[in-house]
Amino acid sequence: MNDRRVLLVMLTLGTALTLVPSLLFAQTMYVSRDEVKLTEEKSPTSKIVETLRRGAQVRVIEKSDRHFKVQAPSGKTGWVFKFTLSDQQVGGGSGGNLLSAVTGDTRIAAREAGTGGSIRGLKETSERYATTKRVDQASKDAVQRMEDRVIPREELLKFQREGSVGEFSGETP
Amino acid sequence: MNGTMKRIMKRTWMVTFVSLALVSGTVDQSWGILDQLLSPPAEKKPSQSKGQPQPSEQKGLVDGIGGLLGAKEKDIGLIKKGLKAAQALQPIGLEEEIAIGQAVAIEAFARFGGEYKDEALTTYVNLVGRTVAEVSDRPELTYRFAILNSREQNAFAAPGGYIFVTIGLLKTLKNEAELAGVLAHEVAHVTQKHMLKTLQRSAILANVSEFSLSAMNKDPKLFSNVIDAATDMLFEKGLDKEMEFEADTVGIEYTYRAGYHPNGLRDYLATLKAQEGTADSRFFSTHPSTGERLRRATDTAIRYTGASKYPYLTERFRSRMGPA
Repeated sequence: MNDRRVLLVMLTLGTALTLVPSLLFAQTMYVSRDEVKLTEEKSPTSKIVETLRRGAQVRVIEKSDRHFKVQAPSGKTGWVFKFTLSDQQVGGGSGGNLLSAVTGDTRIAAREAGTGGSIRGLKETSERYATTKRVDQASKDAVQRMEDRVIPREELLKFQREGSVGEFSGETP
Repeated sequence: MNGTMKRIMKRTWMVTFVSLALVSGTVDQSWGILDQLLSPPAEKKPSQSKGQPQPSEQKGLVDGIGGLLGAKEKDIGLIKKGLKAAQALQPIGLEEEIAIGQAVAIEAFARFGGEYKDEALTTYVNLVGRTVAEVSDRPELTYRFAILNSREQNAFAAPGGYIFVTIGLLKTLKNEAELAGVLAHEVAHVTQKHMLKTLQRSAILANVSEFSLSAMNKDPKLFSNVIDAATDMLFEKGLDKEMEFEADTVGIEYTYRAGYHPNGLRDYLATLKAQEGTADSRFFSTHPSTGERLRRATDTAIRYTGASKYPYLTERFRSRMGPA
């Protein structure tokens, strides 16, 4: 009787262990930034299947060193650079926490809404601070230049491709 | 086959069948729910359109439930006031973070020799910094990198993604992986919100019920006090040493994610350690012992197996830096 129980437990455990990888591959992840390429092969230079937007929910099908094979919301499958994925939901959330729902105050949620990229130029508060503290104009101008500097996406990708870094890491330049 | 074996086989098939049914039919859904339950709360990213009522005008659940229970407006107000006090514990929001970052950035230029005016080199630092920042845990933030015209070796990060490195430090580096390591350490301070957390725990904000842009505009003295505390922390006293160790560990991870050799930061710390006592750097007074940092960074970097395939990019760094 005891032997049969042991055998049954072992068989059950064996079945469960066989199924664990399937469970793990059912993982849901979210695209953490815009313009993420879903490609046919594990390489950003291979054919682009689709471009994913920030916040898109994907299902992980297969994992490798620096790339995940995923299924996009459209149903298409392909490979993405795994560090463009997050296990936390990003963007497009309904916002607000329990406390804000109770008080009707949505400011906290709203304050977290914007992205850094959408906020440009010196803020009135910072400007006034600099004036009050009599900080020289050159320092204010320098911060303004930091705000104004734009690195085009193409330039960044070219730089990364030439150095085999970023999403091109592991590729021969 | 005897009866006992038949029963065992039957039970085994039942277990297998039930498991397979669970996996194929319901696991996707239940796993998704489990994912959500186990994951930390999602970041809130709603948009606030102009046409929507302002927060002060909006009616919340307290208004509704209070009204239904027949509570007086005054009582509802008291309840809401109490709840709002509890909300003071909420983290500092993005707009406020950027306002603090800008003011600290202005102070950084004013105190560290101003801007190092080399457009090509600044673009290069931004390209390396962006490569690291976009694989960080806050990739949605726009990070801005600048070079300070100071011979002393230093680098620091202001909230909101304003990151600085002195020309003195840049000239000490040997390759792009080291630059990526240094910048990644600073990006980690921003992603882990080290300064914001320290400010929130400080006496300056202890009795502040609301730290919003509008509140700061009404009370410039409060904003000024916050910036004084931030600059004092960043330029003079340094952050908590555990935060520095965390920024090293997280920064090494970002360097690896970005595809650089994860030894970058470690190698720079080794250079700094060799210069201890002779180099002109506030790093020694604002950061924990370089020896301890080097030991920990070495332990962290060594865990990245297969790191040898990732580049240092020495030649590209030298060509961008120009003659020493």
